[in-house]
Amino acid sequence: MEKYLDILEIAIYGSAVALILIGLYGALTKKSLIKIVLGLSIMDSGIHLMMIALGYLKGGTAPIFSKGFENSADQMVDPIPQALVLTAIVIGFGVTAVALSLVIRLYRHHDTLRIDEIKNLKW
Amino acid sequence: MKKYIVLGLLAVLGYYLMSIFLLVDFGLPHFAHGVKDVYLSSSKNILKVSNAVTAIVVNFRGFDTLGEVTVLFLSATAMSGILYKKRHDIGERSILFPASSIIRSGAKMLFPSITLLGIYVFIHGHLSPGGGFQGGTIIATGFLLMLLTYQNYSVSHNRLVWVESVAGMLFVIIGLAGYFMKGSFLENVLPVGELNDLFSGGVIGIIYVLVGFKVAAELIGIIYTILHEKG
Amino acid sequence: MVGSPVLFVAIPLLAAFLIPLMGMIWKEFVRIIPGLVLAYMLVLSVSLIIYIQSHGTIVEVISGWGPPVGINLVFSPFSGALTTLMTFLGLLVWLYSHKFKRNVDYEPAKKYFILLMLMVTGSVGMVLTGDLFNMFVFIEIVSISGYGLTSFFVRRDSAEAAFKFLLMGAFASSFLLIGIMIIYTQLGTLNMAEIAQRMPQMDYHMKVFSLIFILVAIGVEAETFPLNGWAPDVYTQAPGPISAAMSGIVVKAAVYANIRIIYTMYDLQGAYEYLLIIGLITFIVAETAALKQERLKRMLAYSSIGQMGLAMIAFGIGTKEGVYAALFLMFSHAIIKSLLFFSGSYLVYNKTSKYIKHVNGMGKYLPITAFLFTLGAFAIIGLPPFMGFWSKLALLSAAADSNLVILVAVILVVSIVEAVYYLRVVNRIFFFKKRANTKPEKPTINAMIAMLSLAAIVLVIGFYPDLVTGLIERAADDLMDKGRYIGEILSKN
Repeated sequence: MEKYLDILEIAIYGSAVALILIGLYGALTKKSLIKIVLGLSIMDSGIHLMMIALGYLKGGTAPIFSKGFENSADQMVDPIPQALVLTAIVIGFGVTAVALSLVIRLYRHHDTLRIDEIKNLKW
Repeated sequence: MKKYIVLGLLAVLGYYLMSIFLLVDFGLPHFAHGVKDVYLSSSKNILKVSNAVTAIVVNFRGFDTLGEVTVLFLSATAMSGILYKKRHDIGERSILFPASSIIRSGAKMLFPSITLLGIYVFIHGHLSPGGGFQGGTIIATGFLLMLLTYQNYSVSHNRLVWVESVAGMLFVIIGLAGYFMKGSFLENVLPVGELNDLFSGGVIGIIYVLVGFKVAAELIGIIYTILHEKG
Repeated sequence: MVGSPVLFVAIPLLAAFLIPLMGMIWKEFVRIIPGLVLAYMLVLSVSLIIYIQSHGTIVEVISGWGPPVGINLVFSPFSGALTTLMTFLGLLVWLYSHKFKRNVDYEPAKKYFILLMLMVTGSVGMVLTGDLFNMFVFIEIVSISGYGLTSFFVRRDSAEAAFKFLLMGAFASSFLLIGIMIIYTQLGTLNMAEIAQRMPQMDYHMKVFSLIFILVAIGVEAETFPLNGWAPDVYTQAPGPISAAMSGIVVKAAVYANIRIIYTMYDLQGAYEYLLIIGLITFIVAETAALKQERLKRMLAYSSIGQMGLAMIAFGIGTKEGVYAALFLMFSHAIIKSLLFFSGSYLVYNKTSKYIKHVNGMGKYLPITAFLFTLGAFAIIGLPPFMGFWSKLALLSAAADSNLVILVAVILVVSIVEAVYYLRVVNRIFFFKKRANTKPEKPTINAMIAMLSLAAIVLVIGFYPDLVTGLIERAADDLMDKGRYIGEILSKN
């Protein structure tokens, strides 16, 4: 069980960090605006995964007191990261929606999605 | 060249992130007296809400949720402001291929059940996994299906504005009711009932239903704005 | 009690949800309601400021759960003074743009005023909140309304500036989340007072990492070097009043968050030196960059960044005099820079490129506006009898008291650079001939009232600085006294 937990730890934290890095890489190096927005979303999901993983408790149950689980508060996983992640997802969605609409506006003006062709302001 | 600089920076960041997380013990309690225990016990004993996440989202940290709903409202507003065009050049909905008859009849059959599922999810947000945000999103996917399938299907813009404004206002008004009747904003003003009962948790269930309506209206509005963008 | 801090958030949100409905009844409501709400917020904050002088800090509990469990709002002398400043500027920005947007269609005007009102609300919320995650939510409210407002004018390159801002803002919010989660996993709480109390238990490495993540995130909003790449573009492309609101309201809120986190939450020794060094770099780089700008609003943007660097230097000194000087600087910068943005936008009104050369000879055609701009320029350089003089003097004496002679010298030298680029513009306004293709645009009556009231404040406080020094001194005391902040909040339970 202990060994299994170690592997799980590396797998989950590793994939969270990997998602964050992939997202950052995409957002920083890609030339297409859509890909940049995608990179931001990937980074967000990495952070959400990390938040949920930080609240995990070994052998824990979902933090819901449904019938038969009324007295199991000490075995429940931490509910706060789950509540925070809900907020973070909604905010991430809002930012992505605004970003996409800005991309549409840029496309309308410049007829291109390549960031190196949109250079009226210094980047 | 730029790529290698970025890769180098990312390697450093990844190393530090990984070393932070490996310091945090996975699957073990990290701290002795967190607010977590208070949340779990009072959501069961005082608020009588079985889903502790819902209790946190709507009551303990309800102010965050109000802010969150505002963020959605803002992004819908900002989006339609950014994409604003004068009336005469609003485009037709851009659908490349008309849907086949299988999809048409399938969508028609699925739409009521998707809506029903969404309503179920947000009504039972305080009893089971789910809630206003999830339910609202499910309803919005139903409308997305209809909008993608039927080229002439349309949602009344005014009706969406009404739903989202009234739901948002009622959320704030319930909060203010708590402020004037009990002395603190968003405090529960209704009887809490029994654990695992549909009518439990006082205003929590009502607020989550309102959030559900608001999120659904907001998301449908966003989808509608983007679909009407001329390519 | 006259009201409660929670109304600062509840009333504007109620109004924001109401505006689309009221707009269906009478279109003018869209413009009027935000003004009424902002005026109400100003009245509320002034009356609360008076109330706390006799009754002490207000800690407002939300949803009936005492501080470590629920979210709380803190109206202390420090946050109260900032709230008053922000709501006052918000009201003036509304007044300035009320008629300014007359030629804009109904739909964009509705969006503009909703976003403006919520931007002010979000900044006020950032200042008042006592909960770290709640601060994140308010930061996002401010940023998203900022993106929307920046790209308000379709004809300019505003979408590009807004996208740049959004990219930085999105990275910042992700980093802030990581920082918050590191703190949460170590201490099990999100309340800022309780975090401050438990901070000694935290592992040193964790402390440093979380502080770095949070400072990077908030540094984007607070325009610290090198995260301020968005600011010049956004200030250039956004409508004039929005530039004023950004530099006067949003940045002040972010600096507040920065300072609250470093001074109250963390007990790290090196953090003050960090502020000092970052502030110094920001100040020097921004002021030299401003010297070679060709566009008026870009120059003002760099000047704004430089002034925030100055405020950070003052915070970094770490003594009570330093904090006092920093708060005075923030206050005077918010007023003066708004005046400069307001009058500057009219001096280059009709040109989309907004080059400095377009102000040539405007002194003859727009005498009052040109005079007000000159007043603002003199005040921000720090010429005596204006407001900027007293704040700079406070900073220099604070630095001298702490034996930082080199710092005094650097600030004085860079101030000369500042004087050069402002006086260059003033020179062009009065002593150059008007260019043939620029058309002067008369300010509307509302804009005139807004500018004149700001100018009046600059003059009155220049002659009677005692009017505000008491308030600022109490705010500085409040910030320095960390134990009292923690005690006041946690005793509310």
